[in-house]
Amino acid sequence: MRVHPVNPIDFEVFKNVYLAIAEEMGVTLCRTGFSPNIKERLDYSCAVYDADGETIAQGDHMPVHLGAMPLSVRAAIDAVNMRPGDIVILNDPFQGGTHLPDITLVSPVFVGAKDKTPTFYVANRAHHSDVGGMSPGSMPVAREIYQEGLIIPPILLVRGHGHGSREGTIDTAVWSMILANVRTPDEREGDLSAQIAANRVAERRLLEVVRKYGKARAVGYARALQDYTERVVKAAITKIPDGVYAFADALDNDGFSDAPVAITVKLTIKGAHATVDFTGSDPQVEGSVNANFAITLSACLYAFRCLVEEDVLYNAGVARPLTVIAPAGSIVNAQRPAAVAGGNVETSQRITDVVLGALGRALPDRLPAASQGTMNNITLGGASLRRDANGRAIPFAYYETMGGGMGARKGLDGLSGVHTHMSNTRNTPVEAIEHYLPVRITQYSLRAGSGGDGDARGGDGIVREYELLTDTSVTLLSDRRERAPYGAEGGAPGACGRNTLIRDGVETRLPGKVQMTLKAGDHLRIETPGGGGYGKRAK
Amino acid sequence: MRIGVDTGGTFTDFVRIDARGLSTHKVRSTPDDPSRAILEGLAALGLKRAADAASGGAQRDAVVHGSTVATNAVLERKGARVALVATSGFEDVIHIGRQTRPELYNIFVAPRVPLVDRGLVFGVRERLDHTGAVVTPLDPADIDRLVADIRAVGAEIVAVCLLHSYVNPAHEQVVAARLRAAGLIVCTSTEVLPEYREFERWSTTVVNAYVTPLMDRYLGRLQASLGRAASLAIMQSNGGSISATAARAQAVRTVLSGPAAGVVGAKEVAAAAGFRHVISFDMGGTSTDVSLIDNCIRTTNDARVGDFPVRVPVIDIHTVGAGGGSIATVDSGGALRVGPRSAGAEPGPACYGSGTALTVTDANLLLGRLDPAYFFGGRMTLDIERARDAAAPIAVDLKLSVAELAEGVVRVANANMERAIRVVSVERGHDPRDFSLLAFGGAGGMHACEIADALEIKTVIVPRQAGVLSALGMLVADVTKDYSASVLQRANELTAKQLDVRYQPLLKQAARDLANEGFAGLKAKCTRWIDVRYVGQSYEITLPYAPGYRAAFDRLHGKTYGYANKDRAVEVVNIRVVAMGLAAKPRLPRAKNLKASTPKPSAIRPARFNGKSWKTSTYRWEQLAAGARASGPAVIMGAEATAVIPPGWAFHVDRMGNVICARTSR
Repeated sequence: MRVHPVNPIDFEVFKNVYLAIAEEMGVTLCRTGFSPNIKERLDYSCAVYDADGETIAQGDHMPVHLGAMPLSVRAAIDAVNMRPGDIVILNDPFQGGTHLPDITLVSPVFVGAKDKTPTFYVANRAHHSDVGGMSPGSMPVAREIYQEGLIIPPILLVRGHGHGSREGTIDTAVWSMILANVRTPDEREGDLSAQIAANRVAERRLLEVVRKYGKARAVGYARALQDYTERVVKAAITKIPDGVYAFADALDNDGFSDAPVAITVKLTIKGAHATVDFTGSDPQVEGSVNANFAITLSACLYAFRCLVEEDVLYNAGVARPLTVIAPAGSIVNAQRPAAVAGGNVETSQRITDVVLGALGRALPDRLPAASQGTMNNITLGGASLRRDANGRAIPFAYYETMGGGMGARKGLDGLSGVHTHMSNTRNTPVEAIEHYLPVRITQYSLRAGSGGDGDARGGDGIVREYELLTDTSVTLLSDRRERAPYGAEGGAPGACGRNTLIRDGVETRLPGKVQMTLKAGDHLRIETPGGGGYGKRAK
Repeated sequence: MRIGVDTGGTFTDFVRIDARGLSTHKVRSTPDDPSRAILEGLAALGLKRAADAASGGAQRDAVVHGSTVATNAVLERKGARVALVATSGFEDVIHIGRQTRPELYNIFVAPRVPLVDRGLVFGVRERLDHTGAVVTPLDPADIDRLVADIRAVGAEIVAVCLLHSYVNPAHEQVVAARLRAAGLIVCTSTEVLPEYREFERWSTTVVNAYVTPLMDRYLGRLQASLGRAASLAIMQSNGGSISATAARAQAVRTVLSGPAAGVVGAKEVAAAAGFRHVISFDMGGTSTDVSLIDNCIRTTNDARVGDFPVRVPVIDIHTVGAGGGSIATVDSGGALRVGPRSAGAEPGPACYGSGTALTVTDANLLLGRLDPAYFFGGRMTLDIERARDAAAPIAVDLKLSVAELAEGVVRVANANMERAIRVVSVERGHDPRDFSLLAFGGAGGMHACEIADALEIKTVIVPRQAGVLSALGMLVADVTKDYSASVLQRANELTAKQLDVRYQPLLKQAARDLANEGFAGLKAKCTRWIDVRYVGQSYEITLPYAPGYRAAFDRLHGKTYGYANKDRAVEVVNIRVVAMGLAAKPRLPRAKNLKASTPKPSAIRPARFNGKSWKTSTYRWEQLAAGARASGPAVIMGAEATAVIPPGWAFHVDRMGNVICARTSR
């Protein structure tokens, strides 16, 4: 529908318009959310899509959601015949989701009262603190997805009142079904309300845009924005010397066996096109580090987005010059009923490491050493010290991730104590955690000396120590405990992370992935990995 | 007499008010020592020097001053050598921040460098829990060691920041007392901001420590120079003023005072002109500040200076890095960009005579929206050929004519501004159509009507004092002090009586401080505010306190975020008291007669709007009488600002000399 020639001025105006909508959705979620993951840690993503479900603009939220969000929209389109006012909910990793705690809401936007099909879609995805399953916080060390929590295929959560109305009514059957399957229903209810509000905000804004500029221009410029991003990404790929670049790395293990889980990549650059082929990576595993295709795609999109220096809008244009080959049934394209909780948070980081590593073979000056390569997921749950009106202990479920060392860059040290690559969530303030959970933080500091040595040093990791004030179920999903983040161009690797239990003054090393019940008075110390160094240090 | 003094990067502005009325004055700023320009200007306005002021006996004169000394100290990293004392085990809180990296996709992202060196952070063994109970007591021997360590590193000032001090400041007080007894200058986190969330509270405290010695010296010098000739008050970021003596102790409260004064000035002139719901739009050379005034000025506790959160109440201003000096470029994908690079004051827009880059101001000139011969009231002429030369290569690149390009540059700049206005209105639950746009700063009046068009705003006000609105704001600012305390309790577990008890110490302190500033009785006003959220949320809404605050909170949440739930439990996060000493409000001069008249243009020149050339009347602001009215397109050139009235708009001049623009058609 390109009826108008693209005018560089209107182009810039529309860029502002679409990005502002995605950002406003994010503001709404953050300000009204209830999960610490949403309100404190900003673990969510919001985006606007065209009629085909292709991204027009995605806010700068969570990179791991980049490739996955459009697949959610696609799954919603395929599964549900959406009408005005409808909102589809889903979290099924094998139908548009990533891992179960990430719940996505997709809304169609019909611009004309008589339109038969939507002109836009909007979606937001937020990490909920609990979606049921075998352990509080729903990030278990599981063997199959059915243990990980409630699986929601794409279904209607809100039913629209039909054409001419933009209102909808929450489907109470679906609503109560979801709330009956989670440990902290009150919080879920608040988070889902916030997610509904975020989509409604975007719908209103898009209708304003169409009213003001007309549908043809709004749609035409959306396409122009995608084409533009594609051009810029192609220009960046063209600058990479043609060739085949290989790289391999591995996860420490899957949480059940000690065997490392290898991920290998062969990157073929030819002109303005790149093929990222993961053939040869290990098969999917018993534990929960399986990545579905959405995650693998996100990691590739992120890596190529990093090569673009311009401040372009993130949208469907990034994916167009890329072909991603991930064999079905492998660790990078797991199939049902694989457990996937850690795929999103751990395997995604390793996939990024190998893709960036391969790119580093082509452009050593522009790519960094490995960053911490894990998100250090910790989930706490149990009966809190608070009581409800009937004197019953109120349950709690809490999830957080920890930053670490960033890999060194040519001529520039890595940052210390930050989230890297696929995540950029904030920490929860110590004073906030202690107010809401039966836990005390006894140390929160940088892990001096953990960054790899080199011409430029890797960033340092973090040390965070928890004292449990009541018996608590604890799940750790962490990696880079055995296999260190690699250095680049002769730089030393960063230090491995370390998980330690301190009980009655005795320290015990814990595995990277473990689920256990700790006693009141136990201390748990997490030391996160440092980043790799860059370049051999001149003596 | 009262004088407002605004120190800017290029000029120091003065507004004086006394029995005879209002006068303004400008002096070139003296960045090496801003007080030189101030004293020079004050002398020119007839304020006696300290030495001559002993006699007289009439009431003392007052000077209200706002400066960027503190802001610049942070941005240019010229503040004090600060030591930080933190709960042991948490020495890196300031360095870790919120553990995020500043840019998502930039491999070469630069580190954030805190204002305190890691080597100047000292842990002290102690610990409170979230109820304020002692988990680990302080050890006196530990503090002795601390004193020696801090002496050894030679810090100018010490920030004491301990966990959970907002519920129980005892440990911070003990440490501070010991350090002070040893002759060190100290500020504690609870003195600065007794609110929970350690990083934000500590960051605010560190910024305070970083700027305090500098502000103390600067204000001390200024006070000494003024002597008894005049009292000195300082503008704060919350839009109120405060005595210089009080400001010297809590300098962090002054860091964003310049833009804040502009909003106060905007509110004052808008109210005098009969407008109570306005969006202030201050477009300068490098940046634009936007704020929403809905009867009253809105403050936020969510501000930053540079990279650092500063959680003291600050007027809710959204700033975008685009202004008259923003440079137009074409990026690698062939899109036109305006900003964030700016030609600034040096070299300035191409048409000023030394720069070569095409800026927004050049674009306005090329469109005929500026009279090159009468810029700044004729103090400057503009070189249109230089502007054309700057535009030509970009126009060729984009296959546009120079005129089309110029119009495009203005449109792209306006799109940035429009987004900024949406942030302060739509994102906060306000419909911009319910507001008027009050435009000031050198470039505000040139863009306001077109931006208003895009947002369906019907009225634009370009005030007579557009060039000195910040100085005017300082002059009229009330003395304002903020007090807060964290509560963190469910509303249903707090009776009105219990809340009253909690408010008492804040109210007492407020009354005491106001008395010290010379305000009592009807001139002293304390209002109570409360921060509320649904249990489980992390962001609270601040609303006026009344026993029915619960229902008011639901309404406000619904309005701001689109949903509310009256059955969900709510929690009181903080209570606040705002103490105001009401300043005597000067009456802005107004014309006695208001007679409709059709003004005579000083010239009729072609100007470009909506892709066409229009015969456009140019007026000199000084020659427009109250009651003058005409239709656009028109350009009104004043000594301090320019107003552009596009086709489809008309304007009239009100009693105060403001240009009021109204849309006549769509």
